[in-house]
Amino acid sequence: MQSNMSRGIIEVDALREATPSMSGKEMLLGNAYRPWPARITSMRDLTANEKLVEMRFIDERVREAFVHEPGQFLELSLFGVGEAPISITSSPTKQGFVELCIRRAGTVTGALHSMHAGDIVGIRGPFGRGFPVDKFRGNDVLIVAGGLGIAPVRSLINYIHDNRSDFGKVTIVYGSRTPSDIMFRDQFEMWRHRKDFELYLTVDQPDDTWDGEVGVVTEPMKRLDFNPANTYGVVCGPPIMYKFVVQVMREKNIDYDHIYLDFERHMKCGMGKCGHCQIGHQYCCIDGPVFNYWEAKNIQGSM
Amino acid sequence: MLYRVMDKRELPALVRAFMESYEVVAPVKRGSGYIFDVIGSPEEIELDYTQTASSPKKYLMPPTETLMKFDANMNLVEDFIEQVTPRVIFGVHTCDINALNRLDVALIGGKYVDPYYQARRDATIVVGISCVPNENCFCHLWGADEAQFGYDLFLHDIGDKYLVSMSNVEATNILEAACELSEATDEDRIAFRQATRVRQSAFNKDIPDVQDVAMLMDVFHSDPFWEELGKKCLSCSACASVCPTCFCFDIRDVLTPDGKTGERQRTWDACTNPGFAMVTGGHNFRPTGRERVRHRMYHKLNGFFVNHDRMLCVGCGRCVTACKTGINPIEVLRFFKRKGADHAK
Repeated sequence: MQSNMSRGIIEVDALREATPSMSGKEMLLGNAYRPWPARITSMRDLTANEKLVEMRFIDERVREAFVHEPGQFLELSLFGVGEAPISITSSPTKQGFVELCIRRAGTVTGALHSMHAGDIVGIRGPFGRGFPVDKFRGNDVLIVAGGLGIAPVRSLINYIHDNRSDFGKVTIVYGSRTPSDIMFRDQFEMWRHRKDFELYLTVDQPDDTWDGEVGVVTEPMKRLDFNPANTYGVVCGPPIMYKFVVQVMREKNIDYDHIYLDFERHMKCGMGKCGHCQIGHQYCCIDGPVFNYWEAKNIQGSM
Repeated sequence: MLYRVMDKRELPALVRAFMESYEVVAPVKRGSGYIFDVIGSPEEIELDYTQTASSPKKYLMPPTETLMKFDANMNLVEDFIEQVTPRVIFGVHTCDINALNRLDVALIGGKYVDPYYQARRDATIVVGISCVPNENCFCHLWGADEAQFGYDLFLHDIGDKYLVSMSNVEATNILEAACELSEATDEDRIAFRQATRVRQSAFNKDIPDVQDVAMLMDVFHSDPFWEELGKKCLSCSACASVCPTCFCFDIRDVLTPDGKTGERQRTWDACTNPGFAMVTGGHNFRPTGRERVRHRMYHKLNGFFVNHDRMLCVGCGRCVTACKTGINPIEVLRFFKRKGADHAK
């Protein structure tokens, strides 16, 4: 196995960071339970309850070896508090930094909200199977997100943005509870004027500032006109959303295995061991979190 | 498989030879039953045990173990080195050997190796012993009544002697140094054949042998049976604790009293615990006993099977004794046997 794990000895060595012979990949996979220190480089509010946190691995080898696909996640570790699985919201095209979109919801995310740029966190990963961007290449992509579901999908959106000529028509439908819950609104407003992204924002509960669409994400979807033969669908949002969005996509004749769903479960270890994220016969953490609809239909309890 | 014959009277010599360089764990009597425990002398071993209350999995995956130590203020890992105790687990039945093989698949198979389990497994010698089933045993239904691999020595009881299968050099060296071995005679071979016959005919015939179990788990996934079974579950985790193949765990941080340092630990967990599939924010993907008990059986009798071509149940029957409300795979098999029986010609 790994070089410094000899028979009968269990070793977690802080000094391994200083072992010059180890490659970044060996460091990440040697003991995949071990988080690697990363420094928070910036934190900004997205909404009252969500922050965009940018981080950078301290060790250069880990930084270079940590290469993710859009849709993958990592385990964020705060020693003494615990770990939480968080989807990576930055595109792999943004090198050297990892961005996470953190909603204050549990103990780890709560503690992180009180931290500052310069503080150190632990990261292990990246884990899971992300979106199959190579299949999407050359095709149209219809992305539907609800609430915090925009976080993993933003990784894909930014990836497409940075490789725009590789993809056909890109349509984004993003639903939020209220206008003040919309994340990355500045980025989306900027794109509103672009010809190469079609954007639909909807809210459940409008306020006085809102002059956009009100209602569920399936409403604008129904009006869309696209060619099902070369369209891939992407869905990420609260559990209740999936079956309604998939229903519309199926009515529009997108094939079962052209619809990709990003699932949320409690991915505690990230490595297909601890069992918490099991869905039917699959592990969300290694077999997913992205499944196509055909696969999802074959998993008991997926939707 | 290489095999030799040893006289049963030599067994204490073999155990003592192992005790010179290993900690020896074996079935011993405790109260009215048996458990696996560290022994101080060969006389403590009860090789005629029917079933131990819990399996030897605790020696490979302790109920609680430290994954690492940390400095909480700096949020950094501290040095942590643990020397695993070289150990012989002596007198293991085929169900438990097959269970270890399944734990190997789950914990060191696939992309990620669990270094903690692997270090313990590598430092462990397994000596198997043949057995005669009790009324709760159904290992034969899952093909776990024989161990093809996963042990270092296996003692087949053939009367006054053992026919010993030898699959590991280190263990064989110790065996050969401690005991007088002989080639098997025709008489020994016949005795071995008769012993396997006795075992095969001793299984409880009231436990139904049902075909297509994995598919039936899918076909009757929405049956009211799961509601009935789930309602009875107390979420006590006894089933998972005694189960030799249950490996699910929780990871938690434990701080020292000053809050400056601590340990990241893992502890056994069970999918029948109410919060097992709950995500941050409170949504629970398996909110009631119905979903939880069904999932546990589904993973055992379908999920693991479709991925690894073997059930995640070895039919050891421990959960039959441990569950206070009668939830166990035999009840699932009985349900499948009843289902549609009144329509059969």
